[in-house]
Amino acid sequence: MKAIWNKTCLAVVASAAIGISASAQAADDCPLPGNLRVVIGSTSTGGDTYQNSSIVVDRLADKLDINAKVDAVGVMPGFQALERSRHGNTVMIFHDGAYLGNLYGVNGYPDIFSKFIVGPTIAINPGNAYLVPKDSPYQSMSDIIEAAGDGKQIKVAIQPGSVSEIGFSALKNAVRMKYPGKEGNIVAVNTGSQADKNQLLFDGAVDVINGSVQANEQYTQLPADDQKAMRFVWITAREKTIAETDEAGMGDTTREQLLQYVTPNVSVPMAADQDFTFDKEFFFLYNKDMDPAAIECIDDALAEIYDEGEIQQQQKRSFFVPDFKPSQEAASYLEEKNDQYKTIISDLNG
Amino acid sequence: MDILSHLTPMFFALIAAGTSIGIIFGAIPGMTATMAVAVCLPLTYAFGLENGIALLLGLYVGGISGGMVPAVLINIPGTPSSITTTFDGYPMAKRGEGERALKIGIVASVFGGLFSAAVLFFFAPVLADFAIKFSYVEKFLIILLALTVIASLCSNMLMGVFSGVLGVWLSLIGTYSITEGGNGEPRLMFDFMQYYLIDGFSLLPVLIGIFGLTTVLLDAEKGFKDETGQGPISLKGGAKFRFSVFKGQLLNLVRSSSIGTFVGILPGVGGSAASVLAYSQEKNFSRDSSQMGKGAPQGIVSSESSNNALTGGALVPLLSLGIPGDSTTAILIGAFTLQGIQVGPLFIGNNLDTWYLMIIALLAANVLMFGIMYFAIRHIARVIEVPKYILYPLIIMMCVVGAYAINYGIMFDVWTLLIFGVFGWVAHKIGLETVPLIIGFILGKSAEVYFVKSLESYGNYSIFFTKSPIAMFLWVLIAVSLAFAIYLRVRNRRQASVES
Amino acid sequence: MESQWLSLLDVTIDFDQSHLFFPRIVTWILVALLAIILITRYRLLAPGLKRAGRVLVGREGEFDHRRFFGTLALTTAYFYLMGVLSDVFPNTGYSFLIMSVLFVFLLSLLYVGRPTRRQFVILVLNALIAPALAWYVLAQLFRITLP
Repeated sequence: MKAIWNKTCLAVVASAAIGISASAQAADDCPLPGNLRVVIGSTSTGGDTYQNSSIVVDRLADKLDINAKVDAVGVMPGFQALERSRHGNTVMIFHDGAYLGNLYGVNGYPDIFSKFIVGPTIAINPGNAYLVPKDSPYQSMSDIIEAAGDGKQIKVAIQPGSVSEIGFSALKNAVRMKYPGKEGNIVAVNTGSQADKNQLLFDGAVDVINGSVQANEQYTQLPADDQKAMRFVWITAREKTIAETDEAGMGDTTREQLLQYVTPNVSVPMAADQDFTFDKEFFFLYNKDMDPAAIECIDDALAEIYDEGEIQQQQKRSFFVPDFKPSQEAASYLEEKNDQYKTIISDLNG
Repeated sequence: MDILSHLTPMFFALIAAGTSIGIIFGAIPGMTATMAVAVCLPLTYAFGLENGIALLLGLYVGGISGGMVPAVLINIPGTPSSITTTFDGYPMAKRGEGERALKIGIVASVFGGLFSAAVLFFFAPVLADFAIKFSYVEKFLIILLALTVIASLCSNMLMGVFSGVLGVWLSLIGTYSITEGGNGEPRLMFDFMQYYLIDGFSLLPVLIGIFGLTTVLLDAEKGFKDETGQGPISLKGGAKFRFSVFKGQLLNLVRSSSIGTFVGILPGVGGSAASVLAYSQEKNFSRDSSQMGKGAPQGIVSSESSNNALTGGALVPLLSLGIPGDSTTAILIGAFTLQGIQVGPLFIGNNLDTWYLMIIALLAANVLMFGIMYFAIRHIARVIEVPKYILYPLIIMMCVVGAYAINYGIMFDVWTLLIFGVFGWVAHKIGLETVPLIIGFILGKSAEVYFVKSLESYGNYSIFFTKSPIAMFLWVLIAVSLAFAIYLRVRNRRQASVES
Repeated sequence: MESQWLSLLDVTIDFDQSHLFFPRIVTWILVALLAIILITRYRLLAPGLKRAGRVLVGREGEFDHRRFFGTLALTTAYFYLMGVLSDVFPNTGYSFLIMSVLFVFLLSLLYVGRPTRRQFVILVLNALIAPALAWYVLAQLFRITLP
């Protein structure tokens, strides 16, 4: 009896081993595993990170002829999984929050530029926006800056320490530049989900909320007498980013209308001659010890995918702006971006 | 577009498939409705929006309903929302009435499901407007109300309340999550634990540890004496199921379904609170609640009708505000965004066809769930005849799958299962009560966020009393709920002393 | 007058310290309740501990040491080895499959004690088929991430 058992056990192990070597060989010259795990820095499977990652990863898996699966593990478990995976079995996709968390000094966020390898960028979510109630006295960001300079307190609902806060910091910085000492009038109300931010606006507890074109556009279409009606005041994306979205825009708001809320039509100055902009970009992160050949392999596969041109259509349909940059270019670009925002944040703190 | 053209055999086949798979997921301890929806989400790509929605809604309804099966048969809730089903379901199963208990649960479930679908269809926009009147303050009070039910559910007041507070305390371990608006700083632990506990303990591993693994340990300790042959529980004997059991239960059904629907509508309150609230309200307000907890059909009725009513309720904010009402509907949002459909206040008006199809799918899922479960139950109930030496190793194995998969592959969640399995065993020995503890654990995190955020905004404790008429009304409910709990306790003690 | 009373209830929460606000309150309530429990039941404490100790070392009561501690040991080993092995077979679920076969078999064997020939065959088949089925359906069909 025991012997039978031993044999079966051996058979299982053996077949497992055969299985793995067979799938590992699938991609010939790529030192990538046959089963690639892609962790993302979000726990939501309904959010933009998941959506974007699954679009890219599905095509990548097809191209490289491997199995790949997106796991919505969240930020810290994602970093941890990446750190453990020396052989490139796990890679991560995340957005600017990865380094902004570190800039804001959020507990547990490493410096991604030294701890990991920054991989290719894949897309931009151009939707990061700020909204006010439809009957708000503030028609534009300049109104808000002026009001703050005038001594009025303005409460802004954000989620602290990430993409949601960077526009807030820029606003505060703009007030500081124009009316030094008055930046304290821009007050953060720290909260969580989009639902919570909306709720604060409905309650009248805040004047401005951070939101997104995707999640809040329908609220801007409500009649003014509806308690839930909102109005965009600012979309943080660069003008050229919005210009690349589909002409139809989002919902009932056309691209033409969206362009009214980006710089130069809406100005939140960052320096004397420069407006602040922020594009939420998605990119890969790799373990420090990942095989350079594997990195190159993913770069090449992505380059081919983007050359084919289909993925762009799919991304645009979901209101993402395609934005492929191979690893090296992406890394230096993001580091530059990081330094830019570092200045704003440290100016505010110091 | 013509709605009828979407009502293809495929549409209904997918609902049936979804419901069946959902029931299986729900019925396996450790697997949940949320997981069923999550794993099938990528499939919706292939099916297109209408058929994809049909599948997902089937999974949702089936998953919530399936949770009653292990709750009744082996005293392990299949999903968090069926905790209260164990109270009366398992005692009935021990009497040999497992099949009857399950059938009562199924009928109650289908009532709850259809009730909430009707509410969703007729009142969604109105209710959404009502729901946004609940700010941090009111939501905190709802959670406080749900916590007060501990007083009526525990067998010893002092130990029960202590267990509940301990549950809250345990839920706070970890960082004050920035995704909830916290500052991301750790508390209630030592530095070396941060690596693992940065996100705290997850609910599902804690739940299946305390209910699943603890049950195994308690039986292992007794040595499976009478266990080498057939299970100790037979399906024979005991009363047979008759629809007459629902006589006099209409009020209970409607009240429990309403509570379930309403809790579903409030985003962020936590779906599992629904059945707990409904159960305790039945205990407080029914004419005779003396048998509840000892195998009374009314307990199953309130628990199962309320947790199925959650489904329609949780879809209200999703479809009329673009905000998910619970963790499962949060994944449903993904199905829409993957198809490029915006959800928000204009969703229903802009997508009338999809809206009608969803209602039809929801109704069909409930009816199919009833059909599938009612006739399959005779066979499903035979699970308790499987000897425990076969069943228990498999339960632990499936708990591992559930724990590992709930957060998409985190090994620490599997260890959490073991930690809380042992903890549950110890708790049992020293007289802590696990149900209040779990309720505290479920509600603890939201309680913190709503409490602290209320005070951050208003800067005065009095806001909890003066914020709005709704807040005051909730205080009345809290007071009444506590008063009843104490009154019933005193009365029962008197009766007990008279009898002895 | 009224506002004076109200100001007693004033509270300001510093965001940087807000992670401690609620936990502190809960901890104090917990400590207070624990104190009440200890005061009202301290008489039960000493004998209870003594009895628990005796049961654990097997001097009294019915306590199946082999099965209880066996369950704990097997489960711990199962979880630990599953983690180790999953680094050998990353992202495939093979680690779960192999360890589950072993675990289900050994735990069943522990619970049965001395199996009859027929039981033994059932145990082996169960330990082979159930994990394989779970692995195939979940990891392969549904593509759930397994260790």
